[in-house]
This record gives sequence, C-alpha cells and structure tokens, in this order.
Amino acid sequence: MDSNWAAEHLQVIRTLMERSALYRRALAPVTILVGAAGTTASVSAWLLKFETPLAFSVYWISVGIISAVSALLLVRQQAIRQKEEFWTPPTRRVVQAALPALLIGFVLGLAVVIAEAQAGFARHPARPTPDITWLPLAWIVLYGCALHAAGFFTPRGLRWLGWIFVFGGLVCLFVWLWVRPFRSQPQLTGNLLMGTFFGLLHLAYGTYLSVTERKNAA
Amino acid sequence: MNPEPFLQLDRVIHEKGRLAIMSMLAASPELSFTELRDTLNMTDGNLTTHIRTLQEAGYVAVAKSYQNNRPLTTCSLTPAGRKAFAEYVDLLEQIVRQNRNK
Repeated sequence: MDSNWAAEHLQVIRTLMERSALYRRALAPVTILVGAAGTTASVSAWLLKFETPLAFSVYWISVGIISAVSALLLVRQQAIRQKEEFWTPPTRRVVQAALPALLIGFVLGLAVVIAEAQAGFARHPARPTPDITWLPLAWIVLYGCALHAAGFFTPRGLRWLGWIFVFGGLVCLFVWLWVRPFRSQPQLTGNLLMGTFFGLLHLAYGTYLSVTERKNAA
Repeated sequence: MNPEPFLQLDRVIHEKGRLAIMSMLAASPELSFTELRDTLNMTDGNLTTHIRTLQEAGYVAVAKSYQNNRPLTTCSLTPAGRKAFAEYVDLLEQIVRQNRNK
C-alpha cells in the first residue's frame, strides 16, 4: 500500500475545505460596475464644480452608497441566475471582513459633513474653505484595507488590489503633504484622486478579471 | 505499518466523492446542491446518490425550500456527521504520524 495516501487524503480535505469557504461569484462585473460609477462620478463632480468640502463629502458619500447597493444587487442577480442563495456563508464572510474599514470611512465622511454644515453658517466669507484632501486619501487607504481583508475569502488577487490602494493612498498622502502645487486646487485634486482610484483602478482590475475569467472558461 | 487505524476508517466517508462532500460541508454551515455540484464537478445523479448514502448514515441533513419561487436544496453536516468527519481526519493524521516514525 502506498504510504503517502493518508497525507494525500488530508491535503485533498484541506484544499476542499478552503475552497468551500471561498467566495466564488464572478467579481469582474461588480468591479467594472463600481469602476464605471467612480469614473462617471469623478467627471460629473468636475463638470458640476463641487467646490466646497460639504458638497464634495455629501456627493462622494452618496456615490459610495449607491455603488455599494448596486454591487450587492448585481451579486443578488448573479445568485438568482445560478439558482443559489444570495446570503451564503462566503458572501457573509467577505462583507464582514470589509465592513469595519468601510464603516470608519463612512463615519469620517459623515463627521466632515456635520462639521462643515455647522461651520458653513458661521464661517466668514473672506476666510478660505479648508482643504479636505486628507478625506479622499483616508477613504482610499481604508478601502484598500477593506479589500485586503475581504481578499482572504476570495480567490482572484483582491488582496493585491487592496495593497495597491493602501500604498497608492499613502504615496499620494506624502505628495499632498509636501508638494505645494498639489494643494492649489484641493477639490479638483480630491475628485481626481477619487476618479483615478475608485474609477480607473477598478475598471483596470475588472478588465483583467474578465479577460482571465474568459481564458479560464475557454 | 500498523493496519489498525486503517481498518477503523469510516467506509461511508472514505469513498472519494463522499469524502469531498463531507470536506466541503465541514467548512461551511450549509451549502446548496448546485454549489456542491459545480465545485466538485459531479453530475446531478452522482451527487444525489452520494448525498443519499450520507443521509442514510445520519451524517448529512438535507433541507428543501423555495427562494424567489425556485426550489432550493441545501445540505449541512449533522452533529453525528461532524463527529464522524473529525474522527476520520484524526485517524488519517495518526496514519501519517505512524508512517513518519517508521
């Protein structure tokens, strides 16, 4: 009798148990949807000239909520099409892993909205509006943390995307702190950052996923 | 090799297809029939037969419900199934240890 069969059996069990715990729905449509929403929202914000911190925060919090709800509806549609349950244990794990960082981002945004709404009435018109570029940068880094945590329950390199958000956000934070021209138009910079990270980066990742998913299917 | 642990291995679980089903269910509170079928690349008939065997042994519970007006079959391990699976894995580990010590 082959003496390795028991070890091989254990390896098979381990692999299957890991696979069972992984989130397996197609990620490409979700990331492309979020990327398209981010890019469109960024261009719209630039065209509509959201120049105050209050308008910027309210606008991007709304975009974030709409994108998250749309992504969940898309996942639900995928589940219905495959005649499966929506709220499966892997889906639950992905949401639970991502939730703390996303919640912190939401609360930070909400705090800026409340503070700006209160200060807006009392602020002297001659006083310049504050630069809140730190907020989109915090959102980028926190979103990266959320992706990284969720990536432990997904099979397709989501953790790498998380790292790109974290490192990219931190690099931009240092550039913002020390390079003056970057700070001359804070709201434009904020919208540009949001569009680049939440729009273009998602679109690039979604395209990569759909190409590799098609290749795997073939 | 001491054959004793090998002889103690649960024959119901030891079959390749059923071991795969038990392994997947051990890592999840419950899984749908389609999730199991697609992940394990089994045919409907094959999976049904294995699940019936596991159900008769008291290791797997099958629940039928409706979701969005479509029938949904979900499978989960029973406490007896969880215990049997843990014992099966323990025995495999024992066999691996024995081989290492030889």
